[in-house]
Amino acid sequence: MKKIRLTPLFFRRIHKWVGLILGLQFVLWTLSGSVMALLDKDEVAAHDHSMGHAHPLPEGAYFDVAALSKGEPVQGVVLRDLGTRPVYEVRTEKGVRLVDATDGAAISVDEGLAREVASMMNEAPIRQVSLLPKSTLETRDHEGRMWRVDFSDAENSSAYVAADTARFIVMRGDTWRTWDFFWMLHNMDYLERKSFNHPLIIFVAFGTLWLSGTGFYLLFKSFSRADFRWLRRRKKPVVRTLTN
Amino acid sequence: MTIRWPLVIRRFHKWLALLVGVQVLLWTLTGFYMVVVHIDTIHGDHLVRSPVVKPFDLAGLASPSQIVAAVPGASEIRLQRHFDTPVWRAETPDGPRLFDAASGRLLADPTEAQIRALAQRIYTGDGKIVSVQLLTTAPQEMQSRKPPFWQVEFEGWNRPTLYLSPKTGELISRRHALWRVFDIAWMLHIMDYEERTDVNNPLLRIATWSAFAMAISGAWLLVWSFKRRKKKKA
Repeated sequence: MKKIRLTPLFFRRIHKWVGLILGLQFVLWTLSGSVMALLDKDEVAAHDHSMGHAHPLPEGAYFDVAALSKGEPVQGVVLRDLGTRPVYEVRTEKGVRLVDATDGAAISVDEGLAREVASMMNEAPIRQVSLLPKSTLETRDHEGRMWRVDFSDAENSSAYVAADTARFIVMRGDTWRTWDFFWMLHNMDYLERKSFNHPLIIFVAFGTLWLSGTGFYLLFKSFSRADFRWLRRRKKPVVRTLTN
Repeated sequence: MTIRWPLVIRRFHKWLALLVGVQVLLWTLTGFYMVVVHIDTIHGDHLVRSPVVKPFDLAGLASPSQIVAAVPGASEIRLQRHFDTPVWRAETPDGPRLFDAASGRLLADPTEAQIRALAQRIYTGDGKIVSVQLLTTAPQEMQSRKPPFWQVEFEGWNRPTLYLSPKTGELISRRHALWRVFDIAWMLHIMDYEERTDVNNPLLRIATWSAFAMAISGAWLLVWSFKRRKKKKA
């Protein structure tokens, strides 16, 4: 067996072969990183639920809390205002029920209500509304049934509204969609686009350390004094004076 | 004169590498750290217990009307537990407040002893509390949150720290050594050395596109060098 000698040539070979195997991902990382740095972060993350409107609750008499249980064990009660009327969110084992907080009537989150909630986040005209049985790639951090409200604006914005609580979930536009595609290239989770801690990316990231490490080492071997002559030529002769 | 492309591209690759080499090395190192340590660990999910879900007795509670009257402008009133007693938590323009759910009376701010007890309840580890402080200015690791808050540090190599609300005693955030390293890694990764949040800064944009050009020229050289070898052999 040939003895391995740690010569620049040896490192150049590692650089080349790792480059051959993992180079494509390295190119994709620099490309997707560049694009994500370019896309305006305020437009990408334009509106998430933390930016949803919080309406002050009107003073007055509210429906009796004790009557909310209807024989079921209640795990939580929230009183909030939809913008048009106050509601109770009643959480039981089966999920969340929405109840009118003034008269106790059950509220179903229908298309009309979904439009109403979505319109508070976007003034553009609504193009189309659809009910989704579960979350999609665009709402992958959330669960449950939801309404998707599409607006006809420049960004092709879509607002998502929870079908159980009528809460605004998130707004997605074309800038986010572009960003999300490149984020997928960056995190290599091609199906869910969510995790950046999976074996594939750990393997490639480890290999890429060798690409950058050897490349960095080779920097010191690839430059000679001659490469920097143009720098020196421009310098004026230094006049030395002795103090002391 | 014909242009010797391999030479030109090699020079291009070399000089770009000189320009962004250190940063590319940092990207791969910090990137490696971020993919290896699971994000749930970084977030400190393992440090805290999630609140117990158990049914409330809704009979005999103070009406929310009383709470809304006490804190005008409240946007949300929520039934939850403080230690083991049910409370109404009101989200007001001045931050959250707790009311005894039975009497409807405003609860006094938790004392230091209560904060200690709450932190012990939330924390999953066995370590003792090392220090408890009420902070009025946010440390670097809590830059995104508005003070004041209680800072409760536990013993342990990773210096687990919980931040609790001074008004409600609720958990605001948790930090530990791996999070702190991640935060530095993230800062180096996005090259925003002050706020650590701006992913659009000009320095990053220049560096990323330079790295892309370096990578593409490297790829060109790679294809060229393997082709040349084939030609030689033939």
